[in-house]
Parts: sequence; structure tokens; C-alpha cells
Amino acid sequence: MSVLLRAQGLAKRFGAVTALFPLDLELEAGRTLAVLGPNGAGKSTLLRLLAGLARPSTGALEIDAAARSRAERRRAIGLVGHASFLYPMLTTRENLVLAARLHGLDAPGERAERALAEEELLGVADRRAGALSRGLAQRVAIARALLHAPRLVLLDEPWTGLDARAAERLTRRLAALPSAGRALVIVSHDLGRVAGLAARALVLVRGRAGWLAAEALHSEAALAPAYAACVEQLEGAA
Amino acid sequence: MSALLAILWKDLVSEWRSRDRLVAMGVFALLVVIVLYLAAPPGGGPEARAHVPGLLWVAWSFAGVLGLNRAFASELENEALSVLALAPVDRGFVFLGKALASFVLLLLVQAASALAFALAFDLDLRPVAGRLAGVAALGAAGLCTLGTLFSAIAVRTQYREVMLPLLLLPLLVPVLLGAVRATQALLLEGTLPWPALQLLLVTDGVFAIVSFLCFEVVLDE
Repeated sequence: MSVLLRAQGLAKRFGAVTALFPLDLELEAGRTLAVLGPNGAGKSTLLRLLAGLARPSTGALEIDAAARSRAERRRAIGLVGHASFLYPMLTTRENLVLAARLHGLDAPGERAERALAEEELLGVADRRAGALSRGLAQRVAIARALLHAPRLVLLDEPWTGLDARAAERLTRRLAALPSAGRALVIVSHDLGRVAGLAARALVLVRGRAGWLAAEALHSEAALAPAYAACVEQLEGAA
Repeated sequence: MSALLAILWKDLVSEWRSRDRLVAMGVFALLVVIVLYLAAPPGGGPEARAHVPGLLWVAWSFAGVLGLNRAFASELENEALSVLALAPVDRGFVFLGKALASFVLLLLVQAASALAFALAFDLDLRPVAGRLAGVAALGAAGLCTLGTLFSAIAVRTQYREVMLPLLLLPLLVPVLLGAVRATQALLLEGTLPWPALQLLLVTDGVFAIVSFLCFEVVLDE
């Protein structure tokens, strides 16, 4: 399987504060990586580094080795961030059409329409993004991130604000993505949901990383104690 | 090119619906006209009209800065700037889309405020309207190219409202010099001096190329 993401000694400092200590990471197509950790652990910083939205202080990052240019590497990435990334004065449909045009997709209107239908968002297609509830905005943000069929999908707390039905549908959708040759990095506090999805789990505590054994991801019951033990160990090291 | 048009469309549609930049720029330019009209000697006359070219550019450049200050502020809402940063396109085209949107808005304000100046100072702009529009567009192009670059830099600083004019206005001197001289010659003598136009064309070209190339780095972080 091709490696979509390779980080070597990836670290980030903000002045005197180290947000992420040097980290080695490799993710193949078809795999899902969970990134867990308490608040302020550096999870979102890691995701921004992987997305190319922030520059590492040290270390090297390679996204999709087959990509020949920066633009192609950016094409490989789909990001669901902590914020919705939506333009509040544009409608839901217009936000998706804009994303399709920026990614140079053919028939952007049709692509947006299909994405709206898949996410069951046709009812709010003409509503301005600024007037959407948190949950609806999150669903639009997910539709926007997946619109161009990215190979590497980065998700920061993707279940935030979603109702039970939408959360379940998202979980099913995320579970299907690796089989389509995509790789996923999911940052979440929801151990129950990531336990069923991820094959590997990285735990971050104050920028320091630890790995959980694959067996810990078989169920929430196995993940919770393994995660707690890892956090305790990393806190001791910090 | 598709990305450029998409960003231009996005900015103009957003502005049409919110009108936050256009209203601020238009009201500011109108206030300048009103204040200068009240400050001018009664009856106007050639003395007051001699100051119009410089005053026009005072109104246009500050209205432009006001609009440019908001050009990237709207991208911070919901962190929408990330959508542009993640787009798989040459970021120079992102810059051009943003700069063109600011340019269109400034042209609208320039047209409206030129009309207000003409009414307030009893000027007949009709014989020079085409050439004045050309000079105004050249000045606006210089302002918007460099202004868009600095707006993208200033938007992430703590004092962005102050930072943009501090960064931008000193570097705009050649553009303002060329624009004011050309407007002065046009309104007072009905001629268009080539050296002033040359200065405008060269500075516009340099600002556009430098901004286009630097935007990749500016949008990075």
C-alpha cells in the first residue's frame, strides 16, 4: 500500500512554548489513524501541520509522494477543521460550488448538488451558511471537505454538534472511506466512535506523543483504560 | 483562472449581500467631500478647484485602505481563509481574485465620489471623464495590488486596522505622486502628462508582480 503521509521529526514551537515535540508518523492508503488526547495536547496543531496550514519548526513532512507540485499535494487533502471554513454570506450550495471551482472540478454545480443530496442537505441548500446551526454547518463542512474526493482526509472533532442520526451516518461514511484507497486522520475525544474506525491511535499530551497497541482499538472498553494509562505516562514524562 | 473568477465572484456576492465595505468606503469618501465643501471659501472659485485633484486622491486612497482593511477580515470568520490556503491552485491567482474584487469596489466609490466632487465644486468632468476614469483605475490598481498583499499580512496581526495604513501608505507614494499629477494636469489643463502615466504604469506593474509572487508565502502562515 502506498504511503500517503510521512512525517519525520515533525515539531512545532510557538515562541518559547513547544506545541508538538518531534514526531515520526507514517500512514498508508486505506488506513485510519486516531489522534487522542486531552485539551491543549497539540492535536489541532498536528492536524494543521499535516494539512499544510502551518509550517513545522523542525522536521520533514511528505504528503502523497506521487504528487509533483504543492498544488497536487493540496489536492490530496480534505480537511474538516475545528471551525466550519464556510463563508457566512454565501448559501450552503454556493459554498460547495466555490469549493468545487477552487479545486478545478468539472461541473461544479452538479458536484455540489450531489454532495448536498448525499449529506441530506438539499433542504438547506439555499440558506446562508451564517444562519445554519452548529450541526448543519458541520455537515456542510464535511460535505465540502469530501467534495473533491481527497486521498488524505483530516478531521478535527468531526462529530461535534451532530445529532445522533447524522453522527451515525458520518461514522458509516468514514468507515467506508479507507476501502476506497483513502487514509484518514481523526482527532477526537469520542473514544467509542474512534475505537471502531481506527487501526492505530496516537495519544498526545502537552505535545508529547505515545502510541496505543492495535488491540486497544478493538472496542471502547479496551480503549478507555489503555488511553488513560498512556495519558498518565505522558503526563509523568512532561 | 477559474479560481481567480471563483474568488472574485465570492467576494462580490458576499459584498453585495453585506455591503459592509462599500458603505464604509462610500460614506467616508462622501464625508471628505462634505468637509472640504464646508471648508472651501464661499462660492468656490478657481482656488478651491485647484485643490480638487489632491483632495480626490485623499478621499480615494483612504477609502481604499478602509475597504482593504476588511478584505481579509471576512476570511477570518469561520477561518474561511483555510479554504483559500488549501485550494490546489497557484496562490497568485488567489491574490488576483482578492485584488480584483477590491479594485471593482474602489472603482464604484471613485465614480460616485468624483460625481459628488463635481457637484460640490461646480466642475464639468464630462470632457475629461474617460481619461479621468483611466487615471483613477491606474491609481486604484496600484493601491489594490499592494494593499491586498499587505492586508493579508496585517489581518493576522493584533493591530490590523492600524498596521495596514502604516505598512501601505509609505510604499504608495509613487502611485499617489503619479496619480495626483496626472489628475491635476487633466482637471486644470485638460492634458495627460506622459511621465506621470509612466510612473503609474511602472509602479502598478512592479506591485502586481511582487504581490503575485509573494502571496504564496504570505498565505502559508
